[in-house]
Amino acid sequence: MLEVEHLAVSYGPTRILEDVSFHVPRGRVVALLGGNGSGKTTVLNALTGMVRPRGGAIRFGGQDCAGWRPDRILRLGLAQVPQGREVFASMSVAENLELGAYTRRDREGVRRDTERALALFPRLREKARRRAGTLSGGEQQMLAVARALMSGPRLLLMDEPSVGLAPNVVGDMVAAIRALREEGLTILLVEQNVGVAAAVADSAHVLQAGRIVHSGPASGLLDDEEVLRSYLG
Amino acid sequence: MLSGLTTGSIYALVALGIVLVYKATGTINFAHGDQLMIAGFLAYTLHVMLGLPYLVAMLGAVIGSFLLGALAERIGFRAVLRSNLINVVLATLGLSFVLKGVARLTWGGISDYLSFPPLVSPDPIMIGDLILLPQQLVVTAGALVVMGLFALFFRLTTIGRAMQATADNPKAARLVGIRVEHIHMLAFAVGAAVAGAGATLMAPLTLLYPDIGFTLFIKGFAAAVLGGLTSLPGALVGGLAIGIVEALAAGYIHSSFLEVSAFIAIMLTLVLRPRGLMGGPPPRRA
Repeated sequence: MLEVEHLAVSYGPTRILEDVSFHVPRGRVVALLGGNGSGKTTVLNALTGMVRPRGGAIRFGGQDCAGWRPDRILRLGLAQVPQGREVFASMSVAENLELGAYTRRDREGVRRDTERALALFPRLREKARRRAGTLSGGEQQMLAVARALMSGPRLLLMDEPSVGLAPNVVGDMVAAIRALREEGLTILLVEQNVGVAAAVADSAHVLQAGRIVHSGPASGLLDDEEVLRSYLG
Repeated sequence: MLSGLTTGSIYALVALGIVLVYKATGTINFAHGDQLMIAGFLAYTLHVMLGLPYLVAMLGAVIGSFLLGALAERIGFRAVLRSNLINVVLATLGLSFVLKGVARLTWGGISDYLSFPPLVSPDPIMIGDLILLPQQLVVTAGALVVMGLFALFFRLTTIGRAMQATADNPKAARLVGIRVEHIHMLAFAVGAAVAGAGATLMAPLTLLYPDIGFTLFIKGFAAAVLGGLTSLPGALVGGLAIGIVEALAAGYIHSSFLEVSAFIAIMLTLVLRPRGLMGGPPPRRA
């Protein structure tokens, strides 16, 4: 479904991604692992048009969408759950969800997706009128995922959804990702937490210094001491 | 006191435009007063020189300002909005000088100070001991109507919602598919349009001259700072407060305080309550 070939990204003179290639097959959950500064977030930002790639190709459903504007890529079906949640803090939970569907005009579909998102995260339904800034970290993360789902994506990009969450909330998030996968949603998951990745992903790629240095099935990750020690610390 | 309320409502309109642009882009638009001045001259041209009805002239000034504001963003500010704040401020200052020059060239030849005919009869109405000038009432009411329309636009339209979202979190706005460049353009345009309405309302009370922009900008800026710079209701409260304080200071202390009180208000706010009366944290720039 998503094919990334020789993706390269620079910020000014600094090369963040040298040469990144990987595939995300339809209906699968693929994890992208790596330590701080390895370029994981930059891969996602290049995919959603938040940064412009210097080179390489990004094909989504056969369309080469490298360098497109973020709103066009979103309409194509790629939605990002950003690092650090980035909810609209001064607006209510309901308004955040509404804005998630900003690019859509099909009211019926939006209503269905609102129901689906609230069924996935029942706590958001209870707090629909609350300002997003007053929610706990875990609830804000749920809202960020729900907001991304509101655009009706075919591929969901998640940037460290487990970071900074209490262990039981991490469990909720893992359950939510599994539920989305059951529905048939394709997911690219960026993680530092190998445990989370191993629990939900089919396959994993390890990114280091702007290159993919290891690829394999996710289930073997926790046993592969060499990968753990040398790349993830 | 009542005349303070009238000038205050004009200041509130000026402040509204300043706050709107600041919230959306994180920039103070130093050309805001001059956009207002141009709008005043536009209204003058339509109403006095071409003889069109006042309301048509007002609509013309609002639409003209809207387009000029959008144009200014597109050719003047968009390229620098991505760079550092100093460049953006310099760009708005540049626009301020350009607009002043245009005004001098276009309208300056007629006479230095243009007078705008009053809308209603200049005879005061007496209610008990109060002396009311009908013109002031019309201006105050007009300003309140404009503010009401503006608030409705913000709350009820998708575009208003998108502007709020962009002010709240520009990165998230981009992620949900809002085109932030368009929102910036719209903020400058709507800010200018509100200024256009303010200018047309104010013109019958004051005289029009090319340098009126800066004076009004300072008053509006003081009102915005007092209100907290990020709060639209704050701009309203700040504007009325500055207008009333100014009138009282001029009446009870000395008329020279009329011009100084806005500066004093800015300084006192920054020293005593830097977030203003109703301000939140500063906006993040996209």
